[in-house]
Amino acid sequence: MASSSHASHTDHHHHVVPTFTYVKTFIALFILMVITIAAAKVNLPGVLFLSGTVVNQLIALGIATIKAALVIWVFMGVRWGTTLTKIWAAAGFVWFILIFLILADYTTRSYEQAQSFEPGVKESALPRAPIKSFQEENPNRNNVRIRQ
Amino acid sequence: MAAIAHGHDHGHDPDSPLHHQFEDIEQQNESYIVGMWTFLVTEVMFFGALFLMYTLYRWTYQEDFWRCHNMLDVTKGGINTMVLLFSSFAVVMAVQGAQLKKKLQVLGWLAVTQACALTFLVIKYFEYTHKFHDRLYPGVNFTDNVANVGGANLNVSQLFFGLYFGMTGLHGVHVLIGMLIFSILMVMWAKGKKIVVNDFVPTEMVGLYWHFVDLVWIFLFPLFYLMPKPH
Repeated sequence: MASSSHASHTDHHHHVVPTFTYVKTFIALFILMVITIAAAKVNLPGVLFLSGTVVNQLIALGIATIKAALVIWVFMGVRWGTTLTKIWAAAGFVWFILIFLILADYTTRSYEQAQSFEPGVKESALPRAPIKSFQEENPNRNNVRIRQ
Repeated sequence: MAAIAHGHDHGHDPDSPLHHQFEDIEQQNESYIVGMWTFLVTEVMFFGALFLMYTLYRWTYQEDFWRCHNMLDVTKGGINTMVLLFSSFAVVMAVQGAQLKKKLQVLGWLAVTQACALTFLVIKYFEYTHKFHDRLYPGVNFTDNVANVGGANLNVSQLFFGLYFGMTGLHGVHVLIGMLIFSILMVMWAKGKKIVVNDFVPTEMVGLYWHFVDLVWIFLFPLFYLMPKPH
């Protein structure tokens, strides 16, 4: 059987990635991690309409996205994958973007802060609604003869 | 026409990893990989909802979230990131070993991955116990000492730490499950089981899971540990 370092005939269909590609990617990921931490320590100034905080956050997320892209493209093998694989990999992140559109609910309308109570403090509980009788809550609107 | 398509018969070679329902090995590999990615998409949904919750509440309580995040240890978080990135590299080397049918390479690099995962969990253990000691676990026993949460509002702090423990905890559970799956994979390789020796794709599928775990941490780390000061 295949005792040599090169695989048997069934394995010529896939592409064995050279170790150096993986090493380069790992080094890139490590450098990006160092940049992320260094950038976080610096309070960057604002740009145009964006505050400094937003700039810092965008840079951190941007670097994280690049790292993620490297992991997906190289480590997860999507670079050498079929088109279907690429579509599937993209699908998750399309969904991710879509669900963030829920935030539109919060940006487009104001909402009241719900009343809450202090856990552990007895008197802070919300008052109960007055208890109504069964007949009060369920009036007989259909003229049903009530069996006594 | 025959009801059963024989297709490109491989002569029932028992060592061939090609199953009869597939035309060729590329189609089989693609099916396996797309299947694994389908599972990973569901995992994206799982974590995605939590990231959405984090986004909403951080946006609503920017100052307090920043104050709470100062209680987190960036050094430990950074080491964890480094460890997971290296474990991703180790996994990819193990998969390469599987492709070349080199058992020792697979077992060696998977052992490195396991060591990295264990290191990650141990560091997490120290982080968590420190938090428990400071009574930062949300619930009735949450600290009433504002200094413990960096001066933030106590109710908002419970929100922050609920998200912190929820998201990093869920991620930690995924790391643990990954360790268990790797153990099973290592045993199969050690025993020379045909299912993993003849076909590298099962090993690659487990590798994909681990890379996903790494991806989640790549986002968790800057969001929780490297929060910029709101101003």
